[in-house]
Amino acid sequence: MAVCVAVIAKENYPLYIRSIPTENELKFHYMVHTSLDVVDEKISAMGKALVDQRELYLGLLYPTEDYKVYGYVTNSKVKFVMVVDSSNTALRDNEIRSMFRKLHNSYTDVMCNPFYNPGDRIQSRAFDGMVTSMMIQVC
Amino acid sequence: MSRPAHRRPEYRKINKDLFVLTYGALVAQLCKDYEKDEDVNKYLDTMGYGIGTRLVEDFLARSCVRRCHSYSEIADIIAQVAFKMYLGITPSVTCNNASRNEFSLILDKNPLVEFVEELPTGRSSLCYCNLLCGIIRGALEMVHLAADVTFLQDRLKGDSVTEIGITFLKKLDEKKYRRKK
Repeated sequence: MAVCVAVIAKENYPLYIRSIPTENELKFHYMVHTSLDVVDEKISAMGKALVDQRELYLGLLYPTEDYKVYGYVTNSKVKFVMVVDSSNTALRDNEIRSMFRKLHNSYTDVMCNPFYNPGDRIQSRAFDGMVTSMMIQVC
Repeated sequence: MSRPAHRRPEYRKINKDLFVLTYGALVAQLCKDYEKDEDVNKYLDTMGYGIGTRLVEDFLARSCVRRCHSYSEIADIIAQVAFKMYLGITPSVTCNNASRNEFSLILDKNPLVEFVEELPTGRSSLCYCNLLCGIIRGALEMVHLAADVTFLQDRLKGDSVTEIGITFLKKLDEKKYRRKK
């Protein structure tokens, strides 16, 4: 399904980034990096009052020729970015939403681990496994 | 014999996540403070001992359990009443040897390790829940029972279950014990 999944910290450095076609990793890193500007734009465009009660899911950030980039921002300003193959038209908005929710839950579990220091790179095996399962589905 | 029946009739519960996270923070901090796993384990045990010596009073007041006549009865009470009361789980009890002074509490679910995925690297001999051992040891000592309590198996170390071993060291001095009551 997804070809690249990234978790970006509040200060905009990557906590976790993984893509499947490993030979083209850098391309996805760039893609995620560019998307952060769109995320910032989307949040600031909403205005102060709305930020408090906004939805976490940001929707489609931008499409490229081959891929679509989706975003999700938690209340603690941690960003999740997902790159999806745009040839996969079967993927509905709702599914993307639920994938993000799954990602968020998994991230929460990582944060709750007493041996994880907030701000470190995520090296949890459970999180990794969840991301892998999201990537190989249908793909 | 007068005993304050149900000291606190209503159970005041705290949020489970808060409790589990607090314990996690405690262990994580100890890991930062002490380099060696043995030191962390020892400290957890000492802390648990302090808790156990106090907690036993609360336990006796609240549970109104009757006097136990055998080690196996004690082990049952620990598993079925104490664990249920304080952790919300009921471990199963098995007896290990013929002299009937070694018991195992097998926990198939341990709420304390809910968020812990695995032990941090280089901490392979850490007993994450060693506090429990200390508590049991402390509590038993307050009712005149010397016991040795250790983790025999731990899920975090790759075993299939978590097993706490209790070995009663000294026989109950029946007469002395009875007179005290």
